[in-house]
Amino acid sequence: MKLFVGHDTRGADIARLAARFTISLMTPQSAPITRPSLAALAAVFGRYGNLTFGGGGATVGVLQQELQQRRNWITREQFHLCFGLSRLTPGTNMLAFCTGIGWMTRGWRGAAVALLSASLPATVIAIAATALFDLRSQAPLMKAAFHGALAAAIGIIFNTCWQFTESVLTRANRVRIVVILLASVAMQTFFPLSPARILLLAALAGAFWPDEGTK
Amino acid sequence: MNVFTLYLILLKATITTFSGLASLPLVRDELVLHRHVLTDEQLNTAVVVSRTTPGPVGLYIVSVGYYAAGVPGAAAGWFAMTTPALAILLLLRFIGPRREHPRVRRVLESIVAASAGMLFAASIPLARESLNDSITVVIAVITATLLITKKADSVVLIGGAALVTLVAARLA
Repeated sequence: MKLFVGHDTRGADIARLAARFTISLMTPQSAPITRPSLAALAAVFGRYGNLTFGGGGATVGVLQQELQQRRNWITREQFHLCFGLSRLTPGTNMLAFCTGIGWMTRGWRGAAVALLSASLPATVIAIAATALFDLRSQAPLMKAAFHGALAAAIGIIFNTCWQFTESVLTRANRVRIVVILLASVAMQTFFPLSPARILLLAALAGAFWPDEGTK
Repeated sequence: MNVFTLYLILLKATITTFSGLASLPLVRDELVLHRHVLTDEQLNTAVVVSRTTPGPVGLYIVSVGYYAAGVPGAAAGWFAMTTPALAILLLLRFIGPRREHPRVRRVLESIVAASAGMLFAASIPLARESLNDSITVVIAVITATLLITKKADSVVLIGGAALVTLVAARLA
């Protein structure tokens, strides 16, 4: 009986070790479920990072579907961690997201491949489009069409202002957000303060504002 | 314009802001108002290019670089757009576990709110430049309304707006 008990204990230990190993594989810090090749990484980021209209938000949505749900390269937790941190990264959030996923899946090489493949093709398209717009902008028909397109761009910028505000506004922080927003408009419009200084003042205001909770 | 100086100016704009168009006030301040290497119309066109081509909105920096210094300027724009993305590697290693700290959260929210305010203020002179008749005012209002309420496709809206003014010019 003791022998059997001993066997059972060892079996239980092995089962516990196997369970721990399996759980460790599933944690965000672990290697992804399927390790992609650098070529596969370049192909996915090249295709979905550059050929999605609608800005970075739309692209990240498509990438979540491809990387997590279809290809199983990252876990849901890894996606959430990388997406959250990409929002805290300066510059274009979508490129930070791609760089982070590349690093999680294939280290430094993956980060470099993801960043290059997610940005270079779209950059070439943007240069070509700018050159074309520049060449044709004085043609009468092009000028007339541009008149409307530039007006739409103003609408797009107003929408971006609204999206920024809406993304951070909660019932708890509304006073701070509205005060900082209006102060930024006033400082940019009426005082000779550089935008970088206004952002620094906003950061200091946020750092020393009393905690409002998370309602 | 010196390409390295252009890179540093554009990098200053991208690395101190947290989303595509949020860097626009800094770009306008440096390149339109102080150095005069870019016009408001070119800046506005750069926004249109970034919204009518695939990829992130932050790509407008590449068009800005192209207008300021040709293809080398566009390359400077690309470097300025991609350099800040590397900062996520530091965040993933060190700040990731602290991102829910109340003070960190408040600082980031405040920066986003200030970015919205500055972008609104910077859009006023751009609007004065572009909204110079009743048709363009209506187009801007309808575009903003459809984007906010219906999440409409900005490419379709820009195309539709271009078509409206094109037809209006042909009929005039």
